[in-house]
Order: sequence, then structure tokens, then C-alpha cells
Amino acid sequence: MNKAKREPEALLPLTPAVFHILLALADAERHGYGIMQEVALRTGGKMRMGPGTLYGSLKRMLADGLIEESGERPDPALDDERRRYYRLTDFGLRVAQAEARRLSELVHVAQFKRLLGGAESIGGA
Amino acid sequence: MATAPLRSPSLSERLYRDLLWLYPASFRRSYGCEMVQTFRDCYREERARGGALNIARLWSLVLSDLITTVCIEYWKTFITFFKSLTGLEKEFLMTSTILNLDVAQYTHIGHRASNEDNMTLYIPEDPQIMAKKGALFVVADGMGGHAKGDVASELAVNTIRDTYYQDTNEDILTSLRLAVEHANMLIWQKNEEILRYATSDEQKKMAMGTTCVATVLKNDKAHIANVGDSLVYVIHAGQVSQIAQSHELTTEQLRKGEITEEEAKKRGLTNKITRCLGEKSTVDVYVATETVQDGDTLILCTDGLWTLIEESEMCSIVEQYEPQESAKRLVARANENGGPDNITAVVVRVSLQS
Repeated sequence: MNKAKREPEALLPLTPAVFHILLALADAERHGYGIMQEVALRTGGKMRMGPGTLYGSLKRMLADGLIEESGERPDPALDDERRRYYRLTDFGLRVAQAEARRLSELVHVAQFKRLLGGAESIGGA
Repeated sequence: MATAPLRSPSLSERLYRDLLWLYPASFRRSYGCEMVQTFRDCYREERARGGALNIARLWSLVLSDLITTVCIEYWKTFITFFKSLTGLEKEFLMTSTILNLDVAQYTHIGHRASNEDNMTLYIPEDPQIMAKKGALFVVADGMGGHAKGDVASELAVNTIRDTYYQDTNEDILTSLRLAVEHANMLIWQKNEEILRYATSDEQKKMAMGTTCVATVLKNDKAHIANVGDSLVYVIHAGQVSQIAQSHELTTEQLRKGEITEEEAKKRGLTNKITRCLGEKSTVDVYVATETVQDGDTLILCTDGLWTLIEESEMCSIVEQYEPQESAKRLVARANENGGPDNITAVVVRVSLQS
């Protein structure tokens, strides 16, 4: 609430935890543990977030208007406990897209500098 | 938020729950339950994989995460405190503070035949309206003995809300007071009509009245207006303050010096109030402004709640639980303590982010 219109670029660069959470929420609403599972799955278990990092990040993302709560309900895949679900806001989606573009441009630079495979085609060597 | 599991928690879960006390209170209250729930999910997953090694790996992650994030949360709390000490915070608040509110409202009939309490809240989605007028919370208690107490309290909360947001006055307190006075006028006019056309004593009893307490939260300020004995409490760092003015008879007489403290104690609180909306064409509205801080909790309630719960218990409940659960527990406790009246509580947790 009460968020003035802001440019997504103003929040960049994002911390790894915040970007991973945005990515986890890009295709579905998830609860805290669901976010952890998605992040672990997409990174092959390399990125593991503790509850403190997760909820500290969620708190600040809520305050920044990147995400919002979407109610409480049980997760049928787990048990009958009610869990609080989170989803991206439009602003959160735009911030995630801006960060993805920023990282993509960096990857192009890395390729151009022959730090990654595919440098030949880009660098013209 | 989550209901407690029926099975008893594991030793690991109990230990993690205790470790959460290391976090700042506001953070723990907002996310403690979810963090325990998430820890439980992780623990269950690691246990299903089998082996003490997996559990040890989980604890290794959790402990290092805990140490780091406890420091971060305290650092952010310190920064906010430091800014408020140096005055930087105030300047910052005026420009870009984001006020987040976690709100729950709950009303119960108690042991009455009908519920004459009413409540409303409005948190504008439009940032410009939010910046100008803030968020509004209103609780009203239709007068016992008046046949249409519920009509009066509903008319009061809706009129106050609509009038407040339609008013363009820049001064919040003036705007809030005018809204309450307008509600008083409307209820009084309805009473005049009832009395004018009444042909029997029974019809004259249809005259109605109500208390009301309204609070506007804008940036770091709580603006209050009240008439009668519906009150508003602020819980800050384990301390409770009642910031409205009670117009209960004994309290009012003591405040005016018409009775001594000894006489007030002897008589105790009565169920009489010295003013209400709808009784006269004008009403003396109490208004005040208080500063609130990140993590504070406000409770707007009718006398059905505050006369039956000690302030210490009120504090204990909102310190332990989130607003949704707090509101239910506050009302449940009032009911357990006898609850002869309708009981209404609006619980608002304030989160100020810079």
C-alpha cells in the first residue's frame, strides 16, 4: 500500500535471495517452504536459503511492493496445515524482468570477453 | 496463522522455536509462526531422506542463517532507531515512508440477544489518497437500552468513513472531528423524527445512540477521535497505553475532580457514559494525536472487551500472536471472563519501512 510509482531499475541490483524468490514466484503462488523447494530445484540444490534469509527477504519485498500475500490455505501435497501464500505484484514482475535483462547484458559481456562458451559467434573470432 | 499440529513437536522444532526469541520482537511476531512451520517442513524432508547427517546438515544451515539474519534484523532496527533519534527518520518519513498495516477485526454477540456493535476499516489502495488521508478504523457500540443501537452504530461507522474521505480538509484531526460530528447530527436528526412522530412511549424508546472511536493511521501518527467508552490501546515494546478519553461516568467525574480517587475506587466503573452520538444536536468529540513506531499494535475496542481483560493480558496476547489470532483470542478471553456485553476488537499492527 502507499507505494508511489517507481522505476524498477531503482531497486537494482537485487540480492541473490530476492532475485531467486522473484523467480520462484514468477510462475506460481507459493508459500515459504514452496519457495525454498523451487529455489533448490532450479539451482540443483546449490542455493539453499535458511528461514531467516527467506522471511527477512519476504518482509522487505512486501514493504517494497514486489510481492503480496494471497491468502492462507493448506498445501494438499504436504498436510492440512494452513500456509500463507505469496505472489508477485505487477511491480515485482517488472523488477524481475529488469534484473533478468541486466544479468543478460552482463552475460553478453562475459561471452564477448570469451569467459563463456559461444564467444566465437558473438566476438566474431 | 497456522493452526498448531496435533502431534507433539520434535525436539529440533522446540529448540528452533526457542532460538527465534533471538530475533527482534516485531520480526518474530510477524514471521515466527511461519518460520517454525517452514523449519518443520524442512526437518520432515530431511528426516524422510534418513540419516542423522541430513539433520545435522539442516541444523548447520539453519544456525548459520540464524546468526546472520538476527544481526541483520537488529541492524535494521538500530538504523531505524538511530534515524528517529537524529531526526533523519522524521524527515525521511515525510517523503517516502511506507506504512504497512496488518489488520484483523472481530466481533461477538457475547451474552446479549443481539449484537449492537459495529466496525469498519478503510485502507485506500490509491497511494495519493493514502498519502493524504491515511487509513481509517472505526468501532462503535450501539447504546444498551436503546432499541435501535445496531442501527445507530452502523450509521455512525459508515458516516464517519464516508464523510472523512470526502472531506478535503488538510488537517487530519479537524477532518476526523467533523466526520464524527456529522455522524452525531445524522443520528440526532433520525431521533428527532422518531420522537416527532411517536404516538406511544414504546415508540419513543426507538430513539438511538452510540459510542464511537475512530483512528486514522498516516505515516508514523495515530489520530484519534472518540465519544463514549469505546477506546483505543497502543502496545509498544510490552507497554500498554490507552490513548482515547473514556467518557464512562466514574472516570469522567474523577478527571473533572468531582469525586476523589477513593470515591471512584469505591464506586468502580459504571455502565453509564456521559456523552454519546445521537443524544444532542452537538457533541464534544475528544481528539488527540500520538506517534506510533514500527512494530506497535493498536487495539480499538468496545467496553465489552476492555472491562473484562487486564491490560497485561491484552499486551501478552498481541505480543504472542498476529492480529488475526490476537483479535479472536482477545474476544474469546472476554467471553471466558463473563462477556455480558457485545465484544468487538480491531487489531492493527503497524509496520513502518523506510
